[in-house]
Amino acid sequence: MSPTTATSASIEIRAVRKLFGSGAGEVHAFGPSDLRIAPGEFVSLLGPSGCGKSTLMLMIAGLLERTDGEIFVNRDIVDAPRTDVGIMFQDSTLVPWRSVRGNVELQLELRGLDTAAYRDRIDDLLHSVHLDGFEDRSPYELSGGMQQRAALCQAIVHEPGTLLLDEPLGKLDAMTRERIRADLQDLWMRRRPTVVFVTHSIEEAIQLSTRICVITPRPGRIDHVIDVDLPWPRGLEVRRSDAFVSCLARIQEIFHGYGVL
Amino acid sequence: MAMASSESPAAAGVRWLMRWFSRSWLFLVFFAAFFISWELLVDWLEVPRYILPKPSTIVIKSSADLDRLVYYTWVTGTETVLGYAAAIVLAVPLGLAIAFSRFLRQTIYPFFVSIEMTPKIAFAPLFISWLGFGLLPKVIIVFLVCFFPIVLNAILAFGSLSEELTRFCRATGAGAWRSFVKVRLPAAMPQCFVGFKYAAINATVGATIAEFIGSDQGLGFYIQIVTGNMRPDLAFAGIFFLTVLGLAIFGLVTLTERLLIPWHISVRRAA
Repeated sequence: MSPTTATSASIEIRAVRKLFGSGAGEVHAFGPSDLRIAPGEFVSLLGPSGCGKSTLMLMIAGLLERTDGEIFVNRDIVDAPRTDVGIMFQDSTLVPWRSVRGNVELQLELRGLDTAAYRDRIDDLLHSVHLDGFEDRSPYELSGGMQQRAALCQAIVHEPGTLLLDEPLGKLDAMTRERIRADLQDLWMRRRPTVVFVTHSIEEAIQLSTRICVITPRPGRIDHVIDVDLPWPRGLEVRRSDAFVSCLARIQEIFHGYGVL
Repeated sequence: MAMASSESPAAAGVRWLMRWFSRSWLFLVFFAAFFISWELLVDWLEVPRYILPKPSTIVIKSSADLDRLVYYTWVTGTETVLGYAAAIVLAVPLGLAIAFSRFLRQTIYPFFVSIEMTPKIAFAPLFISWLGFGLLPKVIIVFLVCFFPIVLNAILAFGSLSEELTRFCRATGAGAWRSFVKVRLPAAMPQCFVGFKYAAINATVGATIAEFIGSDQGLGFYIQIVTGNMRPDLAFAGIFFLTVLGLAIFGLVTLTERLLIPWHISVRRAA
């Protein structure tokens, strides 16, 4: 099978709620909440730790059953793992017994795709995230930032129309985060997939997103949806703009109201 | 064709030996000091030869019995390798089955955990009374000694794939077999090798004790007979051959581990 380019997907969340456990041990993790994401949007789920944003992302991916409500990806109800999305999990899915290239190919091999047909695409992807020359290295030979960039290539090599990214920059230092943020923005601007980006960094959400869903502390609900009206591409200088600063202040005010700031 | 600049196999061998020596000289000095002290102390304290012979006496006297020692090493080695291999062949698939079957986890698994607490060697007299002095009861004892650590580690290995990798496999739509071959099996190998190595250490112990209890050949039998004949020099020779056998088996398992999982942190650190 040869590489294909999937079209960006729409996502719709209707009255979704998630409870873990039962009886006295029941934990209300998320919802109920509604959200509509148009094809090609970059939407951040922003909230404090433990507010259920990763839970929502896993429910969109069909990797976690919801307790109530409905989720649609491209108008198809999600009732099983979605194989047409690209996912980056909080912890790395790079395996130590494969090289960087081998790890990217693992995504294809698990899907039963012919890796030879994707050779040029893998080269392009690794080049675009500045991993040329590291194709044959093992993940443990790379820095944390390089590992995350390799994981990003692994998540998107099959050209998904939707990307679900669960705090992909959470464990990186500030300078590396900046670099990968730029790579991510570049990738989104070139291909325009629909992106759901889970983060607890307000600045990161403003810099990358078209819209930000502010989630309350647990049980998390989507409380505010904020349009980010800043010009593209957004480099570091955007952080000094009045629009960025006022957006930041507005979100900080919301979190202050929740008592988490 | 070899490049003109590449070194010959002999030169590479010498270089490897030099490197090994530079890493291991302290260990070699310690061993030499141990045996020299033993030799001198036996003389100095005038310890009778039938209590504790000198290392030089052990070497000289046992060399006359070398054929028997080599043959008995082969016998004990055969019992050990057969029992160990049978344990791996049966325990790994069973561990895999238990890791994936709720029914087996609720039935066989607790049974195995309780059996693991029983000293398997206590079964040796029973097996020898049922099956005689031949090869089979020894192989069964070695099998029992090796089987439980391997199966328990295999259950742990196959049941411990990270949540992220499990979800990653599911999100690709890969079937159980493809996920197993590409992800679950290689991820389980390090923990499996913990069981293999623990069992390898105990395998020769099982064979030796089984031979103590009832046998007419093998190193355990040899050590028992020569000790009864007041020949500790030969008993020490038997112990030395047992040590070499144990080291050879453990070394082979470790080598296999290095070849199969060179990427694992324990192997990388050892290298």
